[in-house]
Amino acid sequence: MRVEDLINLFREDRPRTSSDIRHVWAVFWANFKIFLSYRTWVIMETISTVASVAMYSFMGLQVDARRVALAGYGDVGWLPFALVGVATANYLWMCISRLSHSLQHEIREGTLESIITSLIKMRSYIIGQSIRGFLVSGYFMLGVFVVGVGILRVPLIINLETILSFIAIILLMVLSYAGISIMAAGLILVYKKGDPLTFLFASITEFLGGVLFPLKYLESFPVLYTLAWLMPYTYALDAARRILLNGATIFSHSVLMDVIVLLAYAAVFIPIGLRVFRWGINRIRYEGTVATY
Amino acid sequence: MEYAVETFDLTKVFESKEGGVKRIIKAVDHVNIKVRRGEFFGLLGPNGAGKTTLIKMLCTIILPTKGTAKVNGYDIIREPMKVRSCLGWFHGETGGRSLYWRLSAEDNLRFYAYLQNVPKDIAERRIEALLEFFGLTKDKKKLVKDYSTGMKVRVMLARALLHNPPILFMDEPTIGLDTISAVETRRLLKALNTELGKTIIFTSHNMFEVEQLCERIVMMKDGRVIADAPPSVLREMLRDVRAVEVEIRENGDLSRAIQALSSLSIVRRVVEVKSESLSAIVRLQVDDEYEAIPAIAGRLHNLGIKVSAIRRSEPTLEDIFVKLTREESA
Amino acid sequence: MDIERLIEIISEDIPRRKTPIYRIVLSFITRDFKVWWTYKFWLLLDISGIILFVITYYLFSLITTAQQIYEAGYMTGGYFTFALIGIAFQQYVHFAVQSINESIREEQWNGTMETILSAAIDFKIFLLGEVCFSFIVSSALLLMSLLVGIILGAEFYATPSSILTAVILTILLIASHMDIGILSAGVIMKVKQGSPVTWAFSWLSQLVSGVFYPLKLLPWYLEWVGRAFPLTYSLDGIRLCLQSGKDLTHPTIISNIISLIIFIFIATPIALYIFKVGYDAARRDGSLGQY
Repeated sequence: MRVEDLINLFREDRPRTSSDIRHVWAVFWANFKIFLSYRTWVIMETISTVASVAMYSFMGLQVDARRVALAGYGDVGWLPFALVGVATANYLWMCISRLSHSLQHEIREGTLESIITSLIKMRSYIIGQSIRGFLVSGYFMLGVFVVGVGILRVPLIINLETILSFIAIILLMVLSYAGISIMAAGLILVYKKGDPLTFLFASITEFLGGVLFPLKYLESFPVLYTLAWLMPYTYALDAARRILLNGATIFSHSVLMDVIVLLAYAAVFIPIGLRVFRWGINRIRYEGTVATY
Repeated sequence: MEYAVETFDLTKVFESKEGGVKRIIKAVDHVNIKVRRGEFFGLLGPNGAGKTTLIKMLCTIILPTKGTAKVNGYDIIREPMKVRSCLGWFHGETGGRSLYWRLSAEDNLRFYAYLQNVPKDIAERRIEALLEFFGLTKDKKKLVKDYSTGMKVRVMLARALLHNPPILFMDEPTIGLDTISAVETRRLLKALNTELGKTIIFTSHNMFEVEQLCERIVMMKDGRVIADAPPSVLREMLRDVRAVEVEIRENGDLSRAIQALSSLSIVRRVVEVKSESLSAIVRLQVDDEYEAIPAIAGRLHNLGIKVSAIRRSEPTLEDIFVKLTREESA
Repeated sequence: MDIERLIEIISEDIPRRKTPIYRIVLSFITRDFKVWWTYKFWLLLDISGIILFVITYYLFSLITTAQQIYEAGYMTGGYFTFALIGIAFQQYVHFAVQSINESIREEQWNGTMETILSAAIDFKIFLLGEVCFSFIVSSALLLMSLLVGIILGAEFYATPSSILTAVILTILLIASHMDIGILSAGVIMKVKQGSPVTWAFSWLSQLVSGVFYPLKLLPWYLEWVGRAFPLTYSLDGIRLCLQSGKDLTHPTIISNIISLIIFIFIATPIALYIFKVGYDAARRDGSLGQY
C-alpha cells in the first residue's frame, strides 16, 4: 500500500452520525472479547463455582431443617434456601465490581485517554460495561442453578412465571446497586485504589443479607439487624426466595413490597452515582491523571 | 481568519505532595499560539518543557488551570465533544500502552472506529488499508500483547488516522519506530498535510525531522514559548553557531576536562555533556572551529587527558535552545 | 560528593565474610514487613474479612445440629468450634501460600527480583525469607480469628499436653504448605500468571479437607481425594486436641502426624525441583523482570 493510495482512500468520507447504541455495543463487544481471552480464568472460575455448590450441599447435611423454617418460607430445606442466596450474592458481587475493575485497568493501561478523546459519552461506556457484567455474571449464576437443580436435584419451583419474575428481580437488584457501583467507580478514578472497598462491601452484603442463615437469628443483634434491612440486597434476596422457593411472582403481594423498595433505591442512587462519576472524570482531567502508565 | 488551533493564556499548574511538602509545577505557562488551518506545525522542546501537557489540554484529556483554547473554532472547556470530533491524537511516549493488549490490532481499530462514529463500510476499508500500510496485515489477528513495541506504535498511529480528522496531534510519532517505518510515517504525514490539507501539530526531539516537515516551529521551555519562527529562521539563527565535539576517552577525566575547556578563550560555552559507560562527549560552541580544534588538543594534551576525537559538528536543537535561553536571560 | 571520594569509598575493600543465613533471612523479613506495613488499608481489610467470615459461621452454626460433629469424635463445642478451627487453619495456610505467590509476582512486576538474585544469594535462602514472612503475618491473623471465635462463645476442651500436640500439628501443617507455596511460586515464574496451583489447592482443600463438615459426610471418592491433602490430617488432629483433649498418645493423632511427615518428605524435593525448573526457565527466557 503506497502513501498515495491511502490518501485517496481518505478522500472518501461521509458525515459521521453519532449513535449511543453503537457506542454501547462497541464497549460491550470489545470487553466481552477481552473477557473471552482470559480462558484459564473462565475455566477455573467455572470449576470453583461447581465446587462451591457441592460444598454447600455437604454443609446442608448438618442443618436442622426446623430452624430454617423460621425464615418464613415454609417447610423448605436449607440447601434450596442457601442456593438462591449464594447464586444471587455471587451475581451481585461480580456485577458491581466489574465497572470499577475495568476502569482501574483502563487507567493503568492508558486506554482511558484514548476513550476520552473519542466521541463516546461516559454514560454509554457505563452501560456497555454493565451489560457485559450482567451477562458474564449471568453465566456463572446459571452454572450454580444447573449444578444445584440439575445434578443435586434441589427442589426449586421453576416455571415460566417464576423464571421471568426471578430475572426481573435480578435486574432490579442490579439497578438498585448501580448507583453505588457507579459512585465507587467515580471514586476509584480519583483515588486509583478502592477495589478492596468493593470487596469489603461485598462481604458485608453477603454476611448481613442472610445468604446462609435466616435473618431471624440476627434479631438478637439489633444494630446488625437494622443494617441488614437497610441494604437493598436483603429485599432482593427475600423476593428471589419467595419466587423460587414458594412460587410467588413479581406481582404477588409479598414480592411487590420488595420491588418498590428496590426501585426506590435505584431512583435515589443512580443520579447520585452519575454525578459522582462525572465529578471523578473532571477531577482526573484537572489533575492530569487520566493515565498512570 | 479562523485558526485550527488558537490558545489564550493557556496555563496548567500541577500540584503534587512529596513527603508532606507541596510542590507546584507550572507545566504550561500562559501559552498563546495560533496555528493556521492546513499548517504543518512543529512543537519543540526538551523533556519536561510542557509539550505533552499542552497537547493533552488541546485534546481535552487534561483541563487547564487558567486560560482556554479553541480547536477548529470550538472551545476546549465548554465544547469538548465538538473538539473531539475533529481531532486525532497520538502519543508516542506511552511505548505502546494505551491499546487493549488483549484484543487484536484489527479489533482495537474496529473498537475505536465505533467510538468515532465511522460508518462501518468505510471503517473496514480504512482498517484494512492502514494495517497494510503499516505492515501489520499478517499479524492483524494476533493479540496486541504479543506485538513488539514498534508494532504497537504503528497500531496507535493507525488509530489516530482512522476517522480522518481535520486536525492531527502527533506527539513524538516516530519515537518507537525503526528507520524505515519512520521514513514512511513522515511521508504519510506530509502527504496528509499537502494533499488533504490536514493541520498537523507535531512534536519531536529530532531536529532533522522537524526541519524537513514543519512550516513553522514553536519552541517551548519550562512551560513557556521561547521562539516562534519558520525553520529557515531557526537555521539562520544557527548560522553563526560553530560547534565542536570533544570525545574524552576516560570518564574519570571529565570534570577536569570541562574545567579546562571552559577556561579557553576561544570556547564560548559548554552546550552539552554526554557521559557514556567509559567515555564522554563534550559539546562546545566556539568562535572558530578551525582555530579551536588545535587549541583544545593542546590544552588537554598538556593536562594529560586522553582524547579520542575532536571534530567539527553541525548545529543541533541543543544549540538553539542554549542560544535562545541565553538570549532570554540576558 | 565528587567522584574521587565516591570511588575511594566503594573501592575500600572489607574482607568479605559469608553472612550467616539467619541474617539474610531476617533482612528479607524486615524488608517485607516494611513494605507490607505501607498497605495498612489491606491489613484492615484482611482482618475485617476474617472477622466477618467467623461471625457468618457463628450464625450458621445456630441452625445446625451437632450430631455429626460428635459422631466424628469431636466432643466439645459443637459445630461452631468445629467450623472455627476449620476456617482459621484453612485461611491460615491459604493466606500464607497466597502471599508467597503475591510477593514473587510483585518482585517480578517491579523488576526487583533481578536485583535480589544478582546479589549473589542462593535462591533457597531468598525463598526461605519470603516464606517466613508470610507465615508470621498469617499466624497473627490465625490468632485473631480464634480470639474472635472465643468472644463469640466457641468452647474448647484441652489439656496442656493436647495443646502442645496441637502446636506440633500446626508446625507440620506449616511445613507441608511451605512446599505447596514453593511449588506454586515455581509455576508462577514460568507462566507469569496467578498460579492455578494455588487456586486449585484452595478450593479443593475447602471441598475435601473437612473445613466445614466432617469428612464422613462426603461420598467415598471425595473422602479418598481428601486423604491426599495435608490439611485433612492437620484439621482432624487439631480438632481432636482442642475439642476432645486428645494428645500424642491417641492412635489417630499419631497416624495423622506420620501422614504429615510422609507428605513433607515426598513433597519437599518435588517442590524445590519445580521451583528450580521455573526459576531456570524464567532466567532462560530472560523474563525474570517481565510481567
